[in-house]
Amino acid sequence: MSTPPAAVPRTTGTPRMRTRIAILAAAAIAAWLLPYGLDSYAIHVVDVILIFAILAVGLGLAMGIAGQVNLAQVAFFGVGAYATAILTTRAGLGFWVSAVLAVLATMAIGLVVGTPALRVQSHYLGIVTLGLALAFTSWVTNAEVSGGAEGLPGIPVPTLPGIDLTSEYLYYYLELFAFVVALGFGEFIVRTSLGRRMRAMRDDALAAGALGAEVPILRMTAFLLASVYGGVAGVLYAGLIQYVAPESFSIATMFLLLAMVIIGGRQSLVGCVVGAVSLALVREALVDHPTIAQIAYGSVVVLVVVFAPTGLAGLPSRIRDAVARRRGRRGVPARMTPFVPYEMSAAADPDAPAILRVQGVTKQFRGLKALDDVSLDVPAGEIRGVVGPNGSGKTTLFNVISGLYRPTSGRVEFRGRDMTAHAPYRLARAGMSRTFQNLRLFGALTVQENILVAIDRSHTAESWRYLLRPISVLRRDRDLHRRAREVIDRFGLTEFAELAPGALPYGTQRRVEIARAVAAAPALLLLDEPAAGLNGEEVRQLSEIVRSIRDSGVTVIVIEHNMGLVMSLCERVTVLAGGRVIAEGTPAQVARTPAVIEAYLGDSMGDLPEVSAT
Amino acid sequence: MKRPSVLALAVVVLAAGCSAPGADEKSTGDGTGPIKIALVDAQSGQLSSLGAWELKGARLAVDEWNAAGGINGRQVQLDVFDDQGDPTTGTNLARKIDSEGYLAMIGTAESAVTIAMAPILKQAEIPNITSGQSPGLVAVGSEFLFLNGPTSTTYDETLAEHIVDKQGIKSIAMITNNGSYGKGEHDAFLKALQARSVTPVADQVVTTDQKDFSAVLTGIRQKNPKVIFLGAEEVESGLIVKQARDLGITATFAGAAPQGTPVFLDTAGVANAEGTIVSSPYLGNDVSDASKKFAAAYKTKFNEEAELHGAKAYDGTQIMLTALKTSNVATGKALADAIRATKYQGLLGSFAFDQTGVGIFATSIGTIKGGKLVAAAG
Repeated sequence: MSTPPAAVPRTTGTPRMRTRIAILAAAAIAAWLLPYGLDSYAIHVVDVILIFAILAVGLGLAMGIAGQVNLAQVAFFGVGAYATAILTTRAGLGFWVSAVLAVLATMAIGLVVGTPALRVQSHYLGIVTLGLALAFTSWVTNAEVSGGAEGLPGIPVPTLPGIDLTSEYLYYYLELFAFVVALGFGEFIVRTSLGRRMRAMRDDALAAGALGAEVPILRMTAFLLASVYGGVAGVLYAGLIQYVAPESFSIATMFLLLAMVIIGGRQSLVGCVVGAVSLALVREALVDHPTIAQIAYGSVVVLVVVFAPTGLAGLPSRIRDAVARRRGRRGVPARMTPFVPYEMSAAADPDAPAILRVQGVTKQFRGLKALDDVSLDVPAGEIRGVVGPNGSGKTTLFNVISGLYRPTSGRVEFRGRDMTAHAPYRLARAGMSRTFQNLRLFGALTVQENILVAIDRSHTAESWRYLLRPISVLRRDRDLHRRAREVIDRFGLTEFAELAPGALPYGTQRRVEIARAVAAAPALLLLDEPAAGLNGEEVRQLSEIVRSIRDSGVTVIVIEHNMGLVMSLCERVTVLAGGRVIAEGTPAQVARTPAVIEAYLGDSMGDLPEVSAT
Repeated sequence: MKRPSVLALAVVVLAAGCSAPGADEKSTGDGTGPIKIALVDAQSGQLSSLGAWELKGARLAVDEWNAAGGINGRQVQLDVFDDQGDPTTGTNLARKIDSEGYLAMIGTAESAVTIAMAPILKQAEIPNITSGQSPGLVAVGSEFLFLNGPTSTTYDETLAEHIVDKQGIKSIAMITNNGSYGKGEHDAFLKALQARSVTPVADQVVTTDQKDFSAVLTGIRQKNPKVIFLGAEEVESGLIVKQARDLGITATFAGAAPQGTPVFLDTAGVANAEGTIVSSPYLGNDVSDASKKFAAAYKTKFNEEAELHGAKAYDGTQIMLTALKTSNVATGKALADAIRATKYQGLLGSFAFDQTGVGIFATSIGTIKGGKLVAAAG
């Protein structure tokens, strides 16, 4: 198993590392010795549990890590098992050849099942995948090749030279090997680039896309991974039970699997394993008491969901938190340190070519014209302000520019290329980065991981490296961590690096979001109301940060209501009202325009400051 | 400090690694104490009603034997295990009853679960009398597996024989569902028809949870068949019959065991179901003196009417206990041989097992008359 050293926080590295290695070693020895203490019944149960554990890890990857509600995991399991059964008993192929083909077949099915995820999400996706799982059981019940309702008996036991796998004790070691590889590979993914992106997509698909995560490819990858795990589990099932029947892959099994993942803690793969093992053991213990089995089993599920919403895996940290709270020991609160300005790289050149050119953009929502023929040129190296009363279309304009909305008409040129309605992740990769009006940080990721997602520019399609060149993945990840550290240190967030953003003060969250947007190394930075909710001192710091970002060579567009900030920070200001550009010019020019004064009178006089020439 | 313990552990691991695990000491039943028989059936989930009936039938048989002094002075202990209708759970239970020293097993009612358990029970040499009736059970080819009734092929073969050969009806339509029961019925009945060179005028497949059959039935009405074969569970069959009569279809319905049950009659309506031809090994509680006695005992003990599944499990358990007695509480292969040698006159008829583990090869044909299933003439 590879635990990337980079994932362990530097400060607490060695002691934690040592306990981890000790726990792993103890677990390895226990797993190795386990069969010596078990009778033939117990080892069979353990063999079945290991298969379910692999399935649960696969489901955990898709649902817990990537946030894709996948109720077709049992169908992946079934495809793997049935393909093995059909290929060995009907086509007469050897077990291992069949196994490889079966996993490939499952992957193909995985891609098919995943396709709806490109269009629908959450419970809709659940319904679609559940439907596909039902279709699978219906098909195997009725198809000739799958043996119909009677299933397919007589699947041969796999052979390995020198090891008699008909013994369920030795089969255990085969499964153990597969399980360790599966869990290790899963953890490897979760802790590095691919998994981080998936978790970011789970927390906020919109923000992840705006930071360059290829959301459609990531969703398909999630299903592909789930199907590989399902296929492997299916192959092992076929070899162990030597018989497949439609009932083994029923919806009841799917819900059992779901319960395992939820009880164990879906956001942690080890949690999924804990859930699979504990639920299977509870079920086995209740076999002798069929009358109370259903009630007891249901109660366990309900109790865990009510009292441990993060699952069993989340219990230790919840208890630790509760104890710390009881003791009133809160430690020294983390403090934000001053921002370290960038080196001046290039002075703003007033004659620079436009980096962004918006031409005649109209955006219509049914009857409402949110943007009406808006045109706007922003030269490279400028700080541009976009102001206007509430509802004047400022954020809509940002959403059109960053690809979240497709304009009804008009075009958006970015760095000289027509990028109208390109997917947000394409625009992000072309060098555009943004923040959101109401903070869209990835809540379940640490501050450092938030930054890492932005820094990471690798292509998800290159994920084959995980299989073929794992070392290069690790090396790259270490490099990403180093660069993330630099950004974090520069933005004075060092003490927050390991914390979840949700727990931070609002002003700090604002700064994290700006740091994240800058970490993506953009050419154009869109800031949507960066000063909202900040106090006077924080606004002053913000102004300094934005100026320094521009000095490092980044063009900045700011939507802002804080006129003091706009007037002092921006070189030019575009004023929107009712979806139209009503004025553009230097802050001083704009403030004198009668149309602007009129627009603001309709809104609130207070927003318009006394203009003093600066 | 740490080194010796690590070293010791390494030695243990190595030593353990040299010998393969699983040197199994088996705890078979010793010569004293109760005779342990396992009943494995779905006690929860969709098939739990089947499991409950089975349990009652088996319990009745065991209690009768225990009241009469048990076998060789030993009481019979019947323990229940819940397979949840799931083959994987079934394999767990097969290992469990093996390791806990059960001599024999009754159940399950679900063919797929029984087939999944069969290789383990064969290896452990535990004889099993199942209530499943799929031909796949025979295909397993285990000398430890016995059926307490005819296979579904027999049901449909007897039915086809009655309709086609005896009554000379060749205009037959089929409605079956795509569940495991319906699919089995479809294949078996179609095969029986084809063997008689009869092609059904319609062969319609519905889903297991379908409630509206008007489209299917309208199509069939145009073909005007004399008999409509039903391959679906009780409630669905009842709904089909009711809706067919509403559409003015007057054809006679025919089917296997589900069409003879009170649930079917209630759903279809007594008048609508009139004349339905049923192929079942157990037509009802009033057919013979034995069945009357069984039904009375069943009613006294459980306060409900006996039915087919309880009767089958009762027969199967009686056979198992008889074989235990004649073999002097043998185990394993000897017990299996004793079961195979047992000739038994039961509720379903006379049992005489062949090498495939099937002991009875005929069903009876009954028709529904005035809301009651009675033996058909001839």
